[in-house]
Amino acid sequence: MTIIQRILTALFTIGLAASSLHAVDFAHDVMPVLKEHCAKCHTGKKKKGGLAMNTRAELLAGGENGDVVIPGKASKSLMIELIESLDDLEYMPPKGDRVPPKDLAILKKWINEGLPWDASITLGKSAWEPPLKPRTVTLPPATNGRTHPIDRILDASLAKRKQTTPSRSSDAAFLRRATLDSVGLLPTPEALQSYLIDKAPNKQSRYIDSLLANDIAYADHWLSTWNDLLRNDYTGTGFITGGRNQITNWLYKSLQENKPYDVFVRELIAPPNKDSAGFINGIKWRGDVNASQTREIQFSQNISQVFLGINMKCASCHDSFIDRWKLAEAYNLAAIYSEKPLELNRCDKPTGVMATPKWIFPELGDIDPKAPKNERLKQLAALMTHPENGRFTRTIVNRIWERLMGRGIVHPVDAMDSKPWNEDLLDYLAVRFADDGYDLRKFIRFVMTSQAYQSRSVILKKEPGEDYVYHGPIAKRMTAEQFLDTIWQVTATNPKNPTAKVNRILKPQSALKEAQKREKPKIVIKKALYGVKGNASKQINLTQKIQQQVDRGNFTFNASYKFAGKDPARGVHKTLEIEYLLNGKLIKSSLKEGTQFNFVSVHPKGKGPSAAVRAALVKNDFLMRSLGRPNRDQVVTSRPNELTTLQAIDLANGDTLANYLQSGAKHLISQKKSSQDLSTWLYRYTLSRSPTAAELSILTAIAGKDQNPISVEDLLWLVFMQPEFQIIR
Amino acid sequence: MPMNPSDKAISRRKLLKQLGAASLAALGTNGGRAWGNSEQGMHPTAKADSCIVIWLAGGMASPETFDPKRYLPFKKGLEVNKILSTFPSIDTSVDNIKISQGLENIAKVMDRGTLIRSAVQPDLGHILHSRHQYHWHTGYVPPLTVAAPHIGAWMAKVLGPKNPIVPPFINIGQRLEGVGEKEELKAFTTGGFFGTQFGPMNLPFPQDAVRSVQPPKGMEPGRFSNRYKHYQKLIDKNPNRDWMSDYQQESMIRSMDSAHLLLQSKEKHAFDLTREPKESRDLYGESRFGKGCLLARRLVEEGARFIEVTTEYVPFVHWDTHENGHTTVKRLKKEIDQPIAQLILDLEKRGLLDRTLVVIASEFSRDMMIEGTTGSNAKDQSRAKTDKLQEMKHYGLHRHFTAGSSVAMFGGGVKRGHIHGKTADERPLVAIENPVSVEDLHATIFTAMGINPKTAYEIEKRPFFATKDGHGKAVMDIF
Repeated sequence: MTIIQRILTALFTIGLAASSLHAVDFAHDVMPVLKEHCAKCHTGKKKKGGLAMNTRAELLAGGENGDVVIPGKASKSLMIELIESLDDLEYMPPKGDRVPPKDLAILKKWINEGLPWDASITLGKSAWEPPLKPRTVTLPPATNGRTHPIDRILDASLAKRKQTTPSRSSDAAFLRRATLDSVGLLPTPEALQSYLIDKAPNKQSRYIDSLLANDIAYADHWLSTWNDLLRNDYTGTGFITGGRNQITNWLYKSLQENKPYDVFVRELIAPPNKDSAGFINGIKWRGDVNASQTREIQFSQNISQVFLGINMKCASCHDSFIDRWKLAEAYNLAAIYSEKPLELNRCDKPTGVMATPKWIFPELGDIDPKAPKNERLKQLAALMTHPENGRFTRTIVNRIWERLMGRGIVHPVDAMDSKPWNEDLLDYLAVRFADDGYDLRKFIRFVMTSQAYQSRSVILKKEPGEDYVYHGPIAKRMTAEQFLDTIWQVTATNPKNPTAKVNRILKPQSALKEAQKREKPKIVIKKALYGVKGNASKQINLTQKIQQQVDRGNFTFNASYKFAGKDPARGVHKTLEIEYLLNGKLIKSSLKEGTQFNFVSVHPKGKGPSAAVRAALVKNDFLMRSLGRPNRDQVVTSRPNELTTLQAIDLANGDTLANYLQSGAKHLISQKKSSQDLSTWLYRYTLSRSPTAAELSILTAIAGKDQNPISVEDLLWLVFMQPEFQIIR
Repeated sequence: MPMNPSDKAISRRKLLKQLGAASLAALGTNGGRAWGNSEQGMHPTAKADSCIVIWLAGGMASPETFDPKRYLPFKKGLEVNKILSTFPSIDTSVDNIKISQGLENIAKVMDRGTLIRSAVQPDLGHILHSRHQYHWHTGYVPPLTVAAPHIGAWMAKVLGPKNPIVPPFINIGQRLEGVGEKEELKAFTTGGFFGTQFGPMNLPFPQDAVRSVQPPKGMEPGRFSNRYKHYQKLIDKNPNRDWMSDYQQESMIRSMDSAHLLLQSKEKHAFDLTREPKESRDLYGESRFGKGCLLARRLVEEGARFIEVTTEYVPFVHWDTHENGHTTVKRLKKEIDQPIAQLILDLEKRGLLDRTLVVIASEFSRDMMIEGTTGSNAKDQSRAKTDKLQEMKHYGLHRHFTAGSSVAMFGGGVKRGHIHGKTADERPLVAIENPVSVEDLHATIFTAMGINPKTAYEIEKRPFFATKDGHGKAVMDIF
């Protein structure tokens, strides 16, 4: 203690002696002191140093450095120590005047008296508590004939803030946005033309219906969103050793069939078969992993994040500093999935405490801890999709709102503990979604048919922060997949073969099924050698093993295997050489390690052509990665919103894009349009508008009178580089 | 703006403010918020403003390179457990430092640097290069719940580019396609949650690096600049230019501008190795690695912030010696010796060595006998198992060893001709003095660069620190 501190302490002691005859009055003495010196950083949502003091309980819970006050012992309380500290690095409060001796004396007295705190008083408004159950919202009256429930809610709040309703977007802008948002493609110039001349009053909703009726295009587009959310990919960590499984076929089919979301989630949480089991099984890493990254804990974290917008990552290591979730809750949730009794680990150290399989919202019911794993998962699936679980519906409607409107009603979309900017809206949408049978497409339609969705997008000078106020939809950057899909669409350069072998035959489904029944492909493995190519001594014969898998009806293989025993083929150039008879025809194939292999499921004669291959169906490549398609080792719920310099370099000189543009140029030249017509057609296709005279003269100058592959390639580049193209408004 | 942790006059609050400014300056809008640094060590004034990591991927055996031990030449029937090194040691320009034969050129410049001989890695059960490499490059052991940024991304994020035209994080020599474990390599060769703007510019083939900064193949420079001119005209003439002027559009236009700025700048010539005079190019040799070192030097001269140059990780190739180690390492040393020494000398000649921290490292060391560390349950992965030497392929360090490895550092304010830490002279060759963990090593590198090891950014409402949980402690002895 410094001399000054000693003197000060002496002074306080004297002061205290004088006033200690009376018990401290919390409301009148203590509150003002706390308000003046502490509230700014430790009340409301603010939790500096992990410490909140809205309530007595919060103060007692302490902060990052443990206990802040010890009732009855002011001299041992960190709060007092820090207020008295002369250390520039640690004293409190960090800004403003030091706490005057008189106030400090009050605080000490208050602590020494056991921290009396009138329970009816809170220092700040406690952090907002998210409701669990669904809430029925009474709709405000419609104004100006805007009867859509979304508009009634939003218009009322705009009126309350004395703001005008956003103006309607143009037909063309609506068409482009709606097409990109629902199926990830551009409206063709023909579609644009016929839409513009259509005079029907309900043409918007009719067009939306036609978009959403396209099962394949819808699934192609939303597959990326769900692959990100469910951590599903075609290549990546874990596949080499069989520590991870795809759910691609199940997922794609579910999107195509518009499986109700509650059924969809039940099949993910309690998989009826292995097709949808990849999500809960997560990734099995080789070697020892941190206790917070076992498959069980991944399960706990991922279902919480994806379906409930709850961040269980903090709590899977220790009781969370930022929200209410506790270590035990994270582990109890994990224990539902665990085959074996699960011991709680705090910060990777065993605690000796065992987890009990337990659901996190007991208000809705609970898991029978004695039930076998499959049964527990079924119970969990039922609780997750329980009609009274409003958190579940709020989370998904918020995610979709964000995709369509550019920003979540709760934002970021994974932080569902935070307050929505419009509670009525979120609650209404959640109830509506459930009432409509958890129908995702119907919900997308519901949002898209509102005037709000069909408004002109707002122009924001900077990315909105916590002070965000709704005033219309926000422009979105195209995802990597949308960027490529639309370029392929315009230039007819879609790749030939998808990585994901899903059913995208354009024929009516019924006809196809009938035909498949007739001619089920018969596959006989003749030879399957795995190892170093051409080196017989380093190869393993897998013929029988693969035949078994074929017979079991599993036609998809990962070309690499995990071997129980010694692997004689450890080498750099491992391949699977395979020869098989498919409907009597001998096919030879050679596959590199790590590649996915599907037997071509030969569709019977008379099949329809497959839809053009879309970006979501091929594995990630250099260009897409550069544009923000993620590595899906973790759950991903948002994509980068801005173009970076390195990305711009790749767009300016990367080979991948240049190759697309070159073949696209060839294709377009073959159509023999004049440069003027070609430029106009391109603008109408890519931007849903015609170029102005000034633009047209720049475009034709580049395209030249005599188009050649080079001039048209440059023309394409110019068009695709326009921010107006890459942004969805 | 680099903050200076050595300046004790700066209070925590000021530091916090500066950090906020630094991060704001360095990023757009989707990065995290900088957290305060509540602790200040006795840090030297940061001297380095560029960093080159020379990455000898696959596990460089320190007894065969920077920490020679008892050498026994190949002899049929020799008991393997007697061998510690398969090369004799040689003198260096520093009296008490000996390194391994085959590194004669590096030996000559040893007086410019510090050798850490006590780097240690955690026992992760089964040894996997990818997990240890991820750990070394990000400071965190995978798997993780968020994507951790590469150490180069940290420098790009906290310090920003040194020259605004040159990308701050450049990765030379590692292919990310067409090699084994490519997905695992991609997982840490990234800006992580900082976002792609802090991720690496990848230049797998140094001789082709110039391709990354010049027009696409077959495009005349005139055509390229003409194309861009028309792009700008179109932006100007866009009838919606003004009302669509939101932050998304403006940042897109800005990024396109900076890309073309680089592509049409004088700095882009740094990427072009043919512009290096032949005599000095020859000094770096014909190997891809040698060219990578030359490229690194040229880029540092133009103001690159962080560069990694690697001999490349390919499973079972290069330093990943599971058999025939002696013969392989002999070749590898030949590959790295001259270029590394030349890089140090060139930097020095140009007055850049004091400002450029060069770190030579690998994910772990190797041993003739022990996999992992003593008592580890890691599975033996040697492919030349024998008790007694029968043939040459048995001669070498074929097991992954995590309990004692070497890291060499040059320039950037580190002591000259200095040794830190020590490994045992008899097996197990574990670090017996001043062990340096990956976290501490990172703290040291960050400190040399003027980044507080406790620097943190917020992700998902949690702080994420430059060194694991902010616990890395710089090895101050080496400054």
